[in-house]
Amino acid sequence: MGINESLGAVIKAYPQTRVVAFADLSASMILASQGKDDVTQEHLEALCRQARASFDDPLFSLSVEAFGEPHAAVVMGHDSVRVFLRSDSEPADALCCICDHAIDLAGFVAKIRKTLDQISAGG
Amino acid sequence: MHETMLGRYLTFESSGGPSLTLEVSGRRVLRMTGATGLTGAESCLAAQALEDEQKDDLIKLLQTVAAPGQELRVLALPNPREGAGVSVGIPVALLADLLLIDLNPAANLAEPVAVGDEAAVPAPLQPASVGPEHSELEPEAAARARITVPSRRTVRAIAPVHDEVLPKPKSDQIPLPGSASEPAGLIPDANQPLSAVTDAAPKVAEGGLLSYFAQATGSVLISWLVVGGQDDGRTEGPEEMVSHLQGFLGDEAPDLGAQLDLISSPPGKPVCIVLGATLVEGHSVICARYEAGVLIGVIEGDATQSILRAWSASLGG
Repeated sequence: MGINESLGAVIKAYPQTRVVAFADLSASMILASQGKDDVTQEHLEALCRQARASFDDPLFSLSVEAFGEPHAAVVMGHDSVRVFLRSDSEPADALCCICDHAIDLAGFVAKIRKTLDQISAGG
Repeated sequence: MHETMLGRYLTFESSGGPSLTLEVSGRRVLRMTGATGLTGAESCLAAQALEDEQKDDLIKLLQTVAAPGQELRVLALPNPREGAGVSVGIPVALLADLLLIDLNPAANLAEPVAVGDEAAVPAPLQPASVGPEHSELEPEAAARARITVPSRRTVRAIAPVHDEVLPKPKSDQIPLPGSASEPAGLIPDANQPLSAVTDAAPKVAEGGLLSYFAQATGSVLISWLVVGGQDDGRTEGPEEMVSHLQGFLGDEAPDLGAQLDLISSPPGKPVCIVLGATLVEGHSVICARYEAGVLIGVIEGDATQSILRAWSASLGG
């Protein structure tokens, strides 16, 4: 399954997902994305910046002190939830997602973790 | 190619005749958009996005263009299609591995590179910087570099490597004794019953939004405190954990505010971040901001079950 198909499968499984994007955080670049038609490149770039900021100091260092390097972040705002996952094997690889509050967060996190692992493994 | 972060069309022209053009972005070869004097380029040219199945063909084509003893010209052009359905492509690092090319910058420095006079500013091959404050190349630049290619290895040896900028754990991070990384003061004694932690103080029954949020999150939120706003000074959890969190806020409040501004949308609006190894097990850090108040806390266990519901309820959703 290709990258776009993998991302599309996430949308299909969780329709509350507005956008799911595969990013290279080291380059601040969205490499592929699936989602609603009204998501612009500017939205994707902002999403990537937020992902980088989520895994940055000072919360990053606090997390490292507490339990080790973080690989997952959930950012809840007023009208959306953003979920960022970094690959365990390729930390620059990440999935960046925007979802509605109604999403089953536990199931969604498990789904995109599996998806990210597949993408990072080249499959 | 390894240093090409922004979208570029890179054309490699061999003095022997063959040439090929690649769409490169983010250290990945996305597409092949042109080839002359090359046999076996059909599959790569036909691919909307280069994938693993084309890598062998691509490598053969690159070897043909960068034949030993030939002069290689490189032309870089901005990619006006950048961002329009970019696909993942083939990582340049993978190609380098398969070509037995060492991307170690130390090796690059040790290996001399023959560069022609007009390559004094080989724009397409300048090291790429990362982050919005840097630009990789002048957007309008279409510069040529002429490079003598004594071996395939030299082709990439002209480009030093810039490391990615993701934050690294501090060297003085608290070690994680036993099975987990439990820093003294932040994570409670593993032998201490959870009830002893969560019941150490009664839940706040009144107060502002952040106290309500903490209460609604439930027993997974094992320690927290609020600084500022309506709930200023409210705490819950083991004293040593609260003390550690207080110290963190005391030291990092300005930077934490800046970080929350970066992740909130729009900046300044209520926001809550949970940061963990997996979010479903172990410990996670939680930080929420509502108006002038900031809550910082530690979650133990699955944060995904209750946190979103609690946040929505707190905001009146």
